[in-house]
Parts: sequence; C-alpha cells; structure tokens
Amino acid sequence: MRRATAVAAAAAAFALALLLANLRPVMAWSGADTAGGSATAKTRAVKDAQYASPLEMALSPDGTRLYVICGQAGELRVLETASGRTLRTIGVGREPRGLALSPSGDRVFVANSWDDTISVIDTSRLAVIATWPETGEPSGAAFARNVQGSDALYVANRISNDVAVLDAKTGAERMRLAAGRGASYTTLAPDNSRLFVTHVYPNPGRHRTAPESEVTVIDAAKGRVVERLPLHSVAGVFHTAISRDGRLGAVVHLHPKNLVPMAHVEHGWVFGDSVTVFGADVGGAVEVPLDEIDRYFAMPFGVAIAPDKSRIYISNAGSDCVTVIDVSRLMRFIHSHPAPFAQDLSASANYVVARIPVGRNPRGILLSRDGRRLLVANRLDDTISAIDTRTNRVVSTFVLAGPKMLTGLRRGEQTFYSARFAFQGQFGCSNCHIDSTFDGLTWDLEPDGLGVDIVDNRLLEDLSGTEPFKWNGGNPGIPIECGIRTEKYIWRSENYDYRSLADLAAYVIGIPARPNRWRLPGGALSEAQERGQAIFNRDVDRFGKPIPIENRCSFCHSGPKGTSQRSFDVGTGKPTDRSGLFDTPQLLNIGLTAPYLHDGSAKSLEEIWTIFNPHDRHGRTNDLTKDQLNDLVEYLKTR
Amino acid sequence: MRPLGNRSILVLLLIAVAFVPCNSSQTRSRPAPSQTSAGPFSIIVSAAPVYDPLAAIQRGAERFPQGVRLLLLRDNKAESLLPGFFASADASVSFDAKTVIFAGKKTANDPWQIWELSLTGHSQRKVISGSTNLIRPLYLPDNRLVYARQTPGGFQMEAASLDGSQQLPLSHIRTSAIPVDVLQDGRILFESMFPLGEDGRPELYLVYSDGSGVESYRCDHGPGRWGGHQLTSGPQTGDVVFTHGRTLARFTSPLAAESPIAAPAREYAGPIAETSTGKWIVSVRTNNESRFSLALKKAGAAALQPLFSDTRNNLVEPVLLTPRPVPKRHPTALHEWTTANLLALDVRQSRDGSLGGMPVSVRIDAQGQAGIAVAMGIAPIESDGSFFVKTPADRPIRFTLLDRNGSVLRAERGWFWIRSGEQRICVGCHTGPERAPENRVPQVLLRSTTPVDLSGAAPAAAAGGR
Repeated sequence: MRRATAVAAAAAAFALALLLANLRPVMAWSGADTAGGSATAKTRAVKDAQYASPLEMALSPDGTRLYVICGQAGELRVLETASGRTLRTIGVGREPRGLALSPSGDRVFVANSWDDTISVIDTSRLAVIATWPETGEPSGAAFARNVQGSDALYVANRISNDVAVLDAKTGAERMRLAAGRGASYTTLAPDNSRLFVTHVYPNPGRHRTAPESEVTVIDAAKGRVVERLPLHSVAGVFHTAISRDGRLGAVVHLHPKNLVPMAHVEHGWVFGDSVTVFGADVGGAVEVPLDEIDRYFAMPFGVAIAPDKSRIYISNAGSDCVTVIDVSRLMRFIHSHPAPFAQDLSASANYVVARIPVGRNPRGILLSRDGRRLLVANRLDDTISAIDTRTNRVVSTFVLAGPKMLTGLRRGEQTFYSARFAFQGQFGCSNCHIDSTFDGLTWDLEPDGLGVDIVDNRLLEDLSGTEPFKWNGGNPGIPIECGIRTEKYIWRSENYDYRSLADLAAYVIGIPARPNRWRLPGGALSEAQERGQAIFNRDVDRFGKPIPIENRCSFCHSGPKGTSQRSFDVGTGKPTDRSGLFDTPQLLNIGLTAPYLHDGSAKSLEEIWTIFNPHDRHGRTNDLTKDQLNDLVEYLKTR
Repeated sequence: MRPLGNRSILVLLLIAVAFVPCNSSQTRSRPAPSQTSAGPFSIIVSAAPVYDPLAAIQRGAERFPQGVRLLLLRDNKAESLLPGFFASADASVSFDAKTVIFAGKKTANDPWQIWELSLTGHSQRKVISGSTNLIRPLYLPDNRLVYARQTPGGFQMEAASLDGSQQLPLSHIRTSAIPVDVLQDGRILFESMFPLGEDGRPELYLVYSDGSGVESYRCDHGPGRWGGHQLTSGPQTGDVVFTHGRTLARFTSPLAAESPIAAPAREYAGPIAETSTGKWIVSVRTNNESRFSLALKKAGAAALQPLFSDTRNNLVEPVLLTPRPVPKRHPTALHEWTTANLLALDVRQSRDGSLGGMPVSVRIDAQGQAGIAVAMGIAPIESDGSFFVKTPADRPIRFTLLDRNGSVLRAERGWFWIRSGEQRICVGCHTGPERAPENRVPQVLLRSTTPVDLSGAAPAAAAGGR
C-alpha cells in the first residue's frame, strides 16, 4: 500500500514536472531581442525577476569603489568597498561578461556579450558616455597603455575566437588577433607587458583525441601574439592571474575525461579540476589538480595571486567555495616530485591549505591591494563575500539589491550550476554546458556499451519544440533527460527531488537562443546566404533532376528550428553505433557548435558533406560546386 | 539532561551494573554511583562478558561467545533495550532516530536474526530471518538495509528492503565481508580480509548498495584495520575513523594513505560514535585483561575521559540515539546480464611498481565452490596496456598478467567480484583510488567494442554487454 501510494505520488510529481517543462517560461534574461534571434527568443525577452547575478569585479585605483558586473540585470553596480553600499546602478548591455578599468580609474569598459557592444562609463559622472559596437560576443576586456603609440582596449570575443584591439579613446578597431576557440577572459600582467587570453571551448582537433587548449600570450605594447601556451587534455579554460613580479602565472580550467567510457564517477572519472602554473618560478607550465580522492572542487573559475606571492586563491563555481593554495608548498611539491600530476588525486594535499565556503556559484574574485581582503562574486546568491585572507574566513557578505524571492527558474539555474548532485560532487550540468551552452566535446556514455555510441554534446538553446532529446531520440522531454537517466548514468548518485527537477527542466527548456551573428543587421540574408537558402529548399538538383522529397534538406530539417523532430538514417552511422538512425538536430546557431554529426566526427559543417556524405544519403549535395556548398553553409549558419 | 560542559564531563561508572544472564527477562537498572551528569546523549551499546571484535571477520565465528545484550544508557541509568530477547547486539539507529535495527536472538536456540525496534511504541518486528546467523544490520537510504549472512564461505553481505523483501547478495568471496558503516556518498564500508577473499589481516573496503564497485578504501595496506566509522559533522566531516587495535587512525579525502590520530596507547574495540558536538565516544580498554569501557574523546585532544564502564561486561559498538544525515541513495545502473564486463585502461600502471616486462595477455581465474582456481581463458593486452573482457559475475575472480612466453609478470593478490550486469573500468592494476584515468581512448576499444568472452557462460546466457 505504501509503495502504491509512493508510486502514485511519484507519477503525479513527474506529470507535474513534465507539465512545467513544457510550459513556456517567462525568462529572466534581460533586454530585447535582436533581429537575428528566433521568434521564440523574442517571446522570452519579457523581463521577469531580474537577479543581480554578480559576475566580475574591479576595484578603483584608491580601492574605495568596487565595480561589479551584474550579468542577468545588465548592470554595472558601483559599491562602496568598505561597506558594500551601492552608490550607483548603471544600465549597460545584455549579458555583460567582462570589464576593464583604465589605469587612472576614470573609465570603466564593460563587454556586453549579447549586444556586441562595449559600454564606456565615466567614473566621475558614473554614467555611460559611449557605447561602441563590437562583433563576435565580447566577453573579456583589458586596458593596455601605449599600444603602438596610444592606449588600447583588448576585447576577447567568444564567437569569433579572437581578440580585438580597440582605440581606448574612440573604440575604433585597430586589429584582430586570433585566439583560442571561445576566447573569453583576459588578464594583463601587472607591468603591462603581456596580455593573457583564455578560451572556454577546446581548439579544433582530431576526432576522439584529447582536447587541446591554450593561453594566448600577446605582447601588449606591440599588439602581437608572442606565444600560445599549450594546455594539453584541457577544455574549459577560465581566468588567469599573474604575480606582481611577473614570474608566476596561474590559469584555471577543467580536465575532462570525455574519451574514457563514463562507467562510473569515482576516482575523477568524468572531470578533473585543475590549475596550470607557469612562468619563471615554475620553469615551464605544470598542471596540478585541485580535487581530492573523495571530494571535488568543480568548475574553477576565478583566480588571484597574493601580492606577496604567498597564496593562490581560486573560486570553485560548482562547489561554492574558494580554494587556497600555499605557493611555497606548491613550488616545493612541483620541484621535488616527478610530473605529471594531473591524475594524482592525492597531490592537492601537498599545497592546498584551505577551502573556504562562500555563496552559490562563486565566479570573479578580487584581492585588495594589500592582499588582506579577497572579494568573491557569488553569482547565484546575489552576494559578495569578503574573506579575511589571514584567517581564511568570510568576515562580511554584501547583499546586492534584487528580488528576495527565488523563482522556480532561479532555483533551476542554481541546480544547473551546482555540482552537488553528482557522485562526491564531481561535476554539474554546467561542466558540459558551459554558461548553459555546450563544451565542444564528444562523450562515451556507458549504458550503450563501452566505446559504443559516441555522442557529440549539443547546444542548450531554445529547446522547446526540438524534442525528443539524445541523438537516438530516446528521451521525449527534458524531465526524463535530466531526471532518471541523468541520475543513473551521469551523476551515479541520488538526484534532485521532483520539485527541483521541475525547476531545472523549466530553466533548461527556457534557455533562450543567443542572437545569431551571421545574419546581416536587421535580420536580412546576404546574397550568398540567399543562394544557400535556395539550395536548402530546392527540389531539383543542379542538373535539373528531381530530388526525392526525403532527400531534400528541408524535409528532415523542417520547421522553425530546423528539425522535423524525427529520426533518420542519413548514412553517417559508424561501426561503433548501435543504430544508424539519429534524431534530426535543430539548426539553431549551428555555426557555433562544431564538431558536427552525432559523434562529432565532422570538424566543420563543410565536412558533413565533403567527407561524410559520399552517397548523397544526407541530402543531395554531391552535385554542388564548392561555391554552392559554401553558400549552403553560409545559410545554415543563419538559422 | 544537562549539557556536557568542558569541565563537567560526566563519568558515569556503571560498575555495579552486572551483566544479566541471557535468559533473564529484566535487566536491573540503577543510577550511576557518580551523580554528576551523564551528558546530553543517549547511547545504545552492546554489553558482553567476552568480546572478540575480529572473530566474525577472521573466522566466521561468534564475537560474543558468552552472550550479549543491548543496553540503553541515558539519564545516568542503564537499561536493557530488549528485555524479551535472549541476546541482542549490533544496534543501528535509523536516520530519524525513531527505530533501531539490530541482530537478535529471541531464544537461546535461535540463530542471529535481523529485528527492528520502534522507539516510540517499543514494538519489535523481525525484518530478516533465516536458518543461519544474520548480523550487523545497517540502515541504507530508501527504506533498505544491509547486513551479513553466515554462509559456508563466511559472512556475506546482503541488502534488502526494510520489509524483508528483495534480498540481494552483495559480496561474492570465500571469506567474510561484514558491513560496518554507510558512507554519506551512499557506499557501504565493510570489513574483510586483505588480500580480499584470502586469509590475511582485516581491511576496510567499499561497495555500492547494489554490490558493484568493490574496492579497497585506500591501497596503503598496512596493519589490520577494522571498526570504520565516517564522521558526519565538524571540520573532519567525511573522514573515516578506524582502529588498528592499539591505535586509532583515519582516512581523509586528500590523502592516499591513512593518518594517525593522537590517542593513548590502549586497545580500541571498533567503531566510534560521534556526538552532535563532534566529540567521539570510543570503546577502549587498558589491556586484554580488562574490559572495554566507553570513553569520551574531544576533537584534537589526545586524552580520553572515562564515560561508562561495567566491571563484568565489555561495552562495545556504541551508537547514539540521535537523528543523523541520510546518505545519498545509489541509483543502480546494472544491466540485466548474467555476466559482467571489465575494461582495463593500462595494466602497466600500478602502485606496485614496474612489471619488469611487457604484458601481452591477461588470464582470468574464477574461484570454484571448493576454492579451487579455474582458469577462464586468456585475452590479449594492447600495446597501450588496455584489455576488455567479459567475465564471470557474482563469483570470485582474479587477473594475472602474462608476458609473451606465458610467464606470470604479476598476479593479483586475492580475489574480487563484479556484479551481474556491471561494467567496470580500472585505471591500472592496483593503482589505488588516488589515480584518476588519463583522457584517451583505450586502444582495445579502437580494435573492437566487443569484449573477449572469458565468462565461461554459454553464448545465450552471456547475452548483453558488447
């Protein structure tokens, strides 16, 4: 009887979860949609509760003011550092992700990632005095003096994978430098000599090989890339810190295990969290883990080095804490033990001296000039923790103004970014879906068999109407995708309760599509894109021969999101796949999400047809000229 | 009850609480001679004239050869928790502290059975029964329990629903495996011998509540360890405290090897109990001529403060009658197969050092009913050290690495098991839990995703698991 009641209750809760997941939520993302966004995204532009969501911070030169980017609110908040009192709230663009302060402190530059703009704020008036256009999802910014004769603003662009060098007075672009894929975070060396740029998606590589990333090192004065510091087996690289003397650098990142079948989680089986230290003190670059044998410190994001170089502080965004490393102990360990260390979960005992609990989803961290205070932006708590670095304790917490009540969407977002549900807290949704997107990796999930059914990770944007999920189309909705299946085969540990699952599903299904950057202003198509659109919709081939309906692009990739929501065999199956039938993926923002095909075997959209469609089973394309295929690809990127 | 002050740690000397004969229906209850406070906790403890903590694990024998009784110690009194029982031991308090499961004998002729006591109505019900002894029950999340059943091969762990249904054998070796705690991550901490499945010294192991993932807690196998208990509060939350007999030590998350605990050189019986303020209640005696009594150990302090003692009985296996955190439930992901798959990423990796030659093949032995090793077959090892095999499930197996001449390069010490439908992956051969995998596709999976079938099962029976 008790069991029957429990089953009935579970079924009712599950039905509720399904219902909630299929409701169209009012999103908490701010601002109006651009012309390139989808219709669905436009409906989601309605503002609901706007949480501050502090992400990154900067201190004024005298240390009295704290500038805080509030991502979801689309604001720069100016706080009195001592008290945490808000002096001014300044509206900037959508999804501000990075900021830079001029050396004199008279200007703050904010990179608005969804608007493709830079907000320039006059700090004496505390007002936006200019908004500069930028392209490619500006995400990080750094101010550098005297770059080829005048001051410059370096801007890392996540979509265009580059660093723009802007005139710091006018915003005029002077040059662009190629960086890693998903370039996002910038750090200028204290002596202004070098700029270090990291990227969140791995660089393109051979299929089923370990991801490769880099720190792009730029001569800040010359505006020239001087080094690409390789980060082997690393994906998801976040912030970098450089010591005052310039002899020690630290960059934090993920160390995914996407090539090993995910048969269990213990022993760092799915993700490692690590820091690579480099520079003259190290004598090269050395990766060391942050995790322990039975506890993990997920999603290292922010990093700071104490002025006296005694400590490295790292925010662990998925584990709600700050890790403190004793630098002298770390150096002793590195210099007295044989490398590599990345797979040794007992290594951190040699150099980690504290784990400081802070708020939810700690991101940017900032040390006071004297190194006595460490400020931590807790994005999903709307708070800033102030840590006394002598005691390694939080001594005060600034609460940023915003809604007091948590909506279901906000709770869902908190669940999404937390690692506490995976076995021993090893990873969370956001490990594979960085900033609610994707990770550029292919994974070997266990339930299908070891080495079987390798799957490319897909983008989480505007998912409503793209069901079913999984490449085999096996999951009809998000509650099943994120619920029972995830508990069994991903977390390998007790999942969330039904209410949390409903919140999570509502959050995931409501993640909006970012603006499409391939369309022309106003949403129009270029001539090439229009030609590609005609190819996409054609019913006869180049030779006038009718194309069977099931072999036209528009047949499988139908509907507003480019999916018929059905599975087809388009001849892309591999010997390691259990079936050649694959769910038709949506085309939304497909230009971002390489690699392609179900197993990530196509490095580019072109390769889908030039390599993996020899018999025209994946649409009639072998009649196309190179130029025509280019046109088709250009059109697809606009979807 | 008064709170336990720093200076007023109560020494409740139950010197006169005599052990009551097992067939007595009433235990005398009397206040402690000392009238200082007994502290803010209620303790259930096993009281026995003779206690051999390793008898079951080492020999499959009786730990309480002269009887045992669960006592409730509170308000300066000791009372029999189960006066109607001939014998009772192995108390485990439910997470909400409303019920207790225990091993009990209603009459002298009964084997040990698993019972549950309601602390509100004092009603008792039999949870698991059988013709052989069932001991050491522990609550699992999701209304389940784990316990050990006596078999010809020693005590073996089983899990079941709290209504006694869905009994599931967890361990499959020919020496005893007895649960001792349930960790917060949902795994069961159990005692067995090292090497596993063979005679040796006591060691602590882990297994999921579906019997999968068996492994040593740590691989620094030193002196015998038993009586593990995971701390669930305070700065050392997650650490596992255990005894070597003469000393206490701990496993802590950052370290691959145990670390010592400052405590007097005495004899420690087994698991500690942890108070809500982070103090430990330990069962300790001066030497093997004396009896185990309860003492309080404050965090960081080396000294012990006497708490309870009984001149005629050992007071062992203390548990506190307080709510405690519910561990995470383990969602079993076992496939419906009769065999198991095992993938090794690189057999050359080991804590035991270099192999001294290039392994080219691996042999699987399975242990038969009489303990005889039966060779199940040989599978190739790739040049990167990987192999992929289908193995017998739910029985003792072991691996031996061979060179090109078929000579043994390294043989596994002891035995282990893989559950039916389990897909297990090892980083190497005895690499220890501190070694995470390299991120690369093992060569064996590039050659074939179908394991070499060494299960010995007929093809139809071995279906599943490519």
